[in-house]
Amino acid sequence: MDRRSFLAHAASTGLLALPAATWADKVRSSATANLLPPTRPKSRVIVIGGGMAGATLAKYLRLWGDAVDVTLIERNPKYLSNIMSSLVLTGQRTLSGLTFGYDTLQSRYGVRLVVGEVVEVDPVAAKVRLASGTTLVADRIVLAPGIAFDAVPGLADPLRMPHAWQAGPQTTRLAQQLAAMPSNGVAVLAIPKAPYRCPPGPYERACLIADWMKAYKPQAKLIVLDGNLDFVTERDNFAQAFYGLHGQVIEYRTGVEISSVDTNQMMVYTNGGAVKADVVNLIPPQRAPALVAATGLATANGGRFAPVDVLSYASLVAPLVHVIGDASATTQPKAGHIANQEAKVCADALARLLSGGQPDPAPVTNSACYSTITRSQASWLTAVFQYDPVAKVMVPVPAASGASLGWQSDNFSQMNRWFSALMADSFA
Amino acid sequence: MTRSLPPALALGLAAWLSAGAAQAQTVTPPAGRLLASNCFQCHGTNGKGPGFETLAGKSASELYQELKEFQSGKEGNGIMARHAMGYTDGQLHALAQWLSTQR
Repeated sequence: MDRRSFLAHAASTGLLALPAATWADKVRSSATANLLPPTRPKSRVIVIGGGMAGATLAKYLRLWGDAVDVTLIERNPKYLSNIMSSLVLTGQRTLSGLTFGYDTLQSRYGVRLVVGEVVEVDPVAAKVRLASGTTLVADRIVLAPGIAFDAVPGLADPLRMPHAWQAGPQTTRLAQQLAAMPSNGVAVLAIPKAPYRCPPGPYERACLIADWMKAYKPQAKLIVLDGNLDFVTERDNFAQAFYGLHGQVIEYRTGVEISSVDTNQMMVYTNGGAVKADVVNLIPPQRAPALVAATGLATANGGRFAPVDVLSYASLVAPLVHVIGDASATTQPKAGHIANQEAKVCADALARLLSGGQPDPAPVTNSACYSTITRSQASWLTAVFQYDPVAKVMVPVPAASGASLGWQSDNFSQMNRWFSALMADSFA
Repeated sequence: MTRSLPPALALGLAAWLSAGAAQAQTVTPPAGRLLASNCFQCHGTNGKGPGFETLAGKSASELYQELKEFQSGKEGNGIMARHAMGYTDGQLHALAQWLSTQR
């Protein structure tokens, strides 16, 4: 048995989950099969969460060398992409077409997948406890758990006023509600205060729904309640679309925060008065999931997100735990494309750190995305971030941060190409 | 069970069991690889697609010249022109050099 097949054997026998003494016993019993010991054991990394950040991290840790044993823990057997999921609302995409599996990560890159729920992370001993009772131990833990939503008073059943901000049953329900609304009905789209996932996302969804209403609900109105004082991003394009192109459909109200809702009366209560609607797409304020706070890491943004060293994404609270993607508090947007790049910076840093080195002192990250302005036209938005060693933060390069001048159908087809490429780089 | 092993092998095994990751040889990734990975989201892992223009198989000078043309605005004001402005000259050289090793 050579080293690789020994490790494969060890992996299949659940070596990672065994306490140290049993681990050594396993090695001894394997050694009876004339095993020549490897020069060194692999380092072990546990990744929690298999979204854009976690999947990319698992892939690149394995792609960039065979020195790390990677276990990816994810509660769902498949990933549903949030990117492009607003197109499910207009019937242009399906959830099954936005489904991505972990097969290639396992078969091609040797990532071990555990489908399960993490209930506790010990950030000092680098241990993870699963709901199944299993405890896993590693040299480093990477949290890539995405986001969670604040509770909204009065919203006992979220499906009555779905956020559809995580692709899944809420997306399906919101699509059904929109299709069933009267042709002169009123829909509300509520945007939370920043920081939230995908800054242009709510605005592009509003544009898309407005364009769809023109065709299918000709007298309908879309009231956009923005918790922010102005468009959070891509102001020129969205302002032109909201006030110009879709001005007859969209009513835009800024600085509006929701205090409570009544799902029987379909009322939304805000600091700017009450609004009654047929359909309410309520995207609540966001935070890192409870596991991040329970581990003691969510100390930024008023206890919402986890501060990290952006050279390695190590938590500033517990250095053996790294936090990538939307759950971390950085100067970068919370979105899939940049989460993919944060994961690569983290993978590169882990490969160095686990072998006694130091992270790359000058990482660069980037963001690129497209926003649907109509059902067949899109704009684009891009940004490049360089590390500032004095402030120790990622700083956007002004010349490289900006949007298209208007929107085009060419951009819409480029958007589809961009999405395929991004998902392949993350999952295949 | 270790009694059944030849002494040298047992010794080696013991050394291996006590060896931690920290004692491993320091890993220094190839220069330019992490920078070049910024291209992968749109041009495929290692620049090999799927996605926009395939980057693997091009020479470093060809890649660098293309990026400089984007940066200068000669290629219009599209997303790649804007994007190229985010990198220093040294970074463009480094990532082009690394990408040229991909065949």
